[in-house]
Amino acid sequence: MDYENAAGRIYDIQGYAVHDGPGIRTTVYTKGCPLSCLWCHSPESQSFEFQVGYLPLKCLGVDLCENTCIKACDQGALTAGEPEQAMDGSGLIRKVRIDRTKCNECQKCAEVCINKALYTAGWDTTVDEVYERLMKDVPFFRNGGGVTISGGEAMSQFPFTYNLAKRLKDSGVHICLDTTGFANTEQLGKMIPYVDLFLYDLKQMDSEMHRKLAGVPNEKILENARFLAANGAKLQVRYPVIPRLNDSEENMHATAKFCKELGDAVTLVQLLPYHHLGTSKYDRLGKKYKMHRWSPPAEEFMQKALDIFKSYELPCQLH
Amino acid sequence: MDKFELPISDRIKGLQERRKRQNKDLRLNFERNRIITDYYKANPKQYPIMKRAGFLYKWLTERAINIEDEDIFLGDAGPQCRTVHFDIEQCSPMWITGCFGDTDERFKAAWQQPGSVWVSDEDRAWILEAHEFWKDNDIAATAKGLFPPEFIEGMGPYKNFLNGSYPGHFCPNYERAVTVGFGECRRIAQEKLAEIQACTTHANVRSELFYHAYIKVCDGMILMSKRYAEGCRKKAETTTDPARKAELLKMADSCDWIIENPARNLWEGLQTVLFYQYLLIADGTHWADSPGLVDSFLGPLAENDIATGALTREQAQELIDAWLYHMGDQIIMFPKPTNDMLINAHKEGRTFYDLQGGAQNIAAGSCITIGGMKVDGSGDYNIVTEMVLLAYYRLRVAEPSIAFRVNEHTPDHLWELAIATSKRSGGMPQFNNDDVIIKAMLDRGVPLEDARRYAVFGCVEPAISGKEWSMAANCGGFGTGASLVNILQYIIHGNVNPMDGSTGKLPCKKLYEYESFEELQAEMERQMKFYIDNVTRMYHFAAMVFNHEWPILSASMMTEGCLEKGMDVSWGGATYNGMGSMFNGIGTTADSLSAIKYMCFDKKIITTKELYDALQANWEGHELLRRRIINEVPFYGNDDDTADDIVRWFTNYWTDIFNNSPGVNGGTQNCGALDLYNVGAGKRTWATPDGRKTGDPLSLSSDPRPDSVRNGPLAYVKSVAKMPWRKLRCGGAINVRLDGNSVKNEEATAKIRDLISTYFALGGIQVHFTVADTAVMRAAQKNPEDYQDLIVRIAGFSAYFTHMSFTDQEGYIQRLELGV
Repeated sequence: MDYENAAGRIYDIQGYAVHDGPGIRTTVYTKGCPLSCLWCHSPESQSFEFQVGYLPLKCLGVDLCENTCIKACDQGALTAGEPEQAMDGSGLIRKVRIDRTKCNECQKCAEVCINKALYTAGWDTTVDEVYERLMKDVPFFRNGGGVTISGGEAMSQFPFTYNLAKRLKDSGVHICLDTTGFANTEQLGKMIPYVDLFLYDLKQMDSEMHRKLAGVPNEKILENARFLAANGAKLQVRYPVIPRLNDSEENMHATAKFCKELGDAVTLVQLLPYHHLGTSKYDRLGKKYKMHRWSPPAEEFMQKALDIFKSYELPCQLH
Repeated sequence: MDKFELPISDRIKGLQERRKRQNKDLRLNFERNRIITDYYKANPKQYPIMKRAGFLYKWLTERAINIEDEDIFLGDAGPQCRTVHFDIEQCSPMWITGCFGDTDERFKAAWQQPGSVWVSDEDRAWILEAHEFWKDNDIAATAKGLFPPEFIEGMGPYKNFLNGSYPGHFCPNYERAVTVGFGECRRIAQEKLAEIQACTTHANVRSELFYHAYIKVCDGMILMSKRYAEGCRKKAETTTDPARKAELLKMADSCDWIIENPARNLWEGLQTVLFYQYLLIADGTHWADSPGLVDSFLGPLAENDIATGALTREQAQELIDAWLYHMGDQIIMFPKPTNDMLINAHKEGRTFYDLQGGAQNIAAGSCITIGGMKVDGSGDYNIVTEMVLLAYYRLRVAEPSIAFRVNEHTPDHLWELAIATSKRSGGMPQFNNDDVIIKAMLDRGVPLEDARRYAVFGCVEPAISGKEWSMAANCGGFGTGASLVNILQYIIHGNVNPMDGSTGKLPCKKLYEYESFEELQAEMERQMKFYIDNVTRMYHFAAMVFNHEWPILSASMMTEGCLEKGMDVSWGGATYNGMGSMFNGIGTTADSLSAIKYMCFDKKIITTKELYDALQANWEGHELLRRRIINEVPFYGNDDDTADDIVRWFTNYWTDIFNNSPGVNGGTQNCGALDLYNVGAGKRTWATPDGRKTGDPLSLSSDPRPDSVRNGPLAYVKSVAKMPWRKLRCGGAINVRLDGNSVKNEEATAKIRDLISTYFALGGIQVHFTVADTAVMRAAQKNPEDYQDLIVRIAGFSAYFTHMSFTDQEGYIQRLELGV
């Protein structure tokens, strides 16, 4: 496979992704991330490997499909559960259960599940394939819309991300790159000509704290932000406001100050209030949501946070 | 803060409360039915149009004048606020005897409970007696008398047409009533009459009768307005509040003037629209009599009032608010409830209004069109456009529905307001694409100037405002039903409907006897053509019934062409004539054909015999196959040409044949894609190859099946945009559901506009969007009192969520949760 048609591993392509930059956008989500943020609402984005997902709601019961998945599993990870009422009220069924300690993520069960109750999170693709799919949505990309390449961390799959962005840019598509900033600086530099807007996360200004929350320190992230700003990139900074973890006034001032220092490169600072809507996805993958499910920050609180950013004369908004 | 918020005045709040109270205590309109019965009994031999004029005159001059305390406008089509209308001459005999000939106990349990639409013992006795006259003289009886027996036999499952009801979906020229007046029209009619009388011929003798009838109704209308003037003066005499007294005297002055003469200010314009609306409703509950481009003719009056200081902006808004409440007061009893339905509803603690609220009865299916273009192609937006939107935005009303015409001249602030309104009001307004609809009108042979003046009649049906007798989707209570799916059943089961074993008229093979998918397609084309030819024939017969015996004189009063030609609309008097038909079951049919093609012919996963057997068994014992089809087959709604090409193929075929068949009164036939009955039709439809089980709902209107949509709103919109919309010139409904989370901030509004604009640039004609916040609906189920104003869009109309039955609520929520 040639470099321009590099392979990539993604877990979703979503049209009308209205939270990922200006206008109507279609977002490609690459799989795998070097960070592991406690509040991450896309657990399937974290691992670079395929994962077995399971939606019990869709399981028809192993008696109907004659243990198709159980037979396919050579690790003995799947068993029939206790009888329970079927969703459509048709009687008792025994849904499959996964013992995650035995599962080796071989995906054989997902391949045979007829109703896709068991499914594979993620699939392998190529630049060509994804490009063709994305170009179908071009009519919607008026008024600043376009494609957002997101993750996971898209920069972790540089050949794919770079060539996809280049290809789309050459076709006149507006490109956003949604990045944690935890990336190879040289590679980020190569992206600049093909990215109209970097959606750039700043989660916590204190590096030690950042390491605790996201699994990595923040020096490289901050350094890359400065690098991008100095080299003509446009940044839309995204600051997820997480109760107790990064919502101190001190951190807000530090974040705002940092944004200010980046100068004109920062076109907008978005404050994203924490929510726990994605947490049911953890159950599907058999993973634990490590954070307490806090209530989202109150509106008055967010307004005060916004005022802090405004006091630095930054273009900013609540999202 | 909310930039669209204008205060809701205390008076408007009062009107709002008044209606909430009245909804728990509705009354049937016996007044109109007594008057028509008396008149028709006394004058059995009068020529039909003279008989109609006589009845209308009697109604206009004898009906009760009702002036509500504190109200800003006068009257109702019935004797009190929010009268529920029905016409005895178009009631099925089974309904009358079933409801009122029932045992005393059951009658009381249905019609005399708190929350019933109350029918007194006296009314009950009257309707049973009147029925003795009408059973041999009503519309159905006329139809039976006129049709050759061979034709009635051949109607097969469509015999219910013989229950006969008025054709609906029209839009007389209200502008003429407001800006010219009945006095001037009467003068013209008299001139025309004199011309004919000078030289009466075979060709014009019927027109002479038309003009006599026309003049009589003009006289009646002018008298009714003056009776209201008198009523206001009387009321003023006993009113102590000086402000109200002055207001009543001012209204009296206006009522002495309007109807006969052109309206001089906004109040008079609005009251004229209402008086004329009352006449239309009293003439017959035709369904969806729509006032057309209201902002276009009311705007100049409003602007003048504000410019001269006669009204402040807030006062003008108050008038529009109050007027919309009146426009929404015209309740039609549809479908007519049986005693079982009513008794069950009362047991569940639901009122008659709740029972009807889930259906499309409210506001008589009327639609107000705003925005659009002037005849010269420039934008037609003014302060009334904005005020109508603001009324819906602030009051959160669901009735009547509104259509917002958009084109390159649509101002940004109205786009924004319309989207904000739609987010709050459950898909109100709908958005209509001028570009494609105007082209569709040109295809019908309408000149450009008139094409630019289309309005929406009813749910989604575009026709020429004030100049067309459209009969969109409705002629004599006869629609094509779930036509496509019926045909699909025939070609699968060898001309048999497995639901009841009945057979079609055109023998054909069974699914497993076709050699190729192409052969099956060819058979489907043969069946479609046969069906359309039959439908066309029926339409012409149905139109003849009205032409012969049941003129629609109230509509002819203002529909352009009638006064000029001396012809009733049912005789072809209107400038343009249309005959609409809706074809539906599109998603179910497309997915089913796609399943046959994919499973049996392309991938050869199963044989056609295996699929046939699974269908015969209603999937029982074939659950895994059913699931595989649902998960694997390319379905309509996902921007996948495999399925979308099938939709394009049958829609093109259908519309080409239907639109090119000769229309009634020399007009055109116009195909549309709309359905309000997908749940009921689904109950009567056997299992389909798309994995649908017997009795489950069919797909709605032109929408893909919600649970077939896998790729999100962009793919959905691109898929539906592939339909040949320009040929669907009787309209279509597309519902785009957006996640509650994606519509919150101001940016979201711009993105929704981009979505609509893109869809329209791709060729779509109509769209409404709903915000799917199922959490809110769940909360509304628990605490209905707190969610009285939650409105959801069904297809061509919106309904209050808390008035829907629990089953319908559940169905709605499930569709949302499974959908995009």
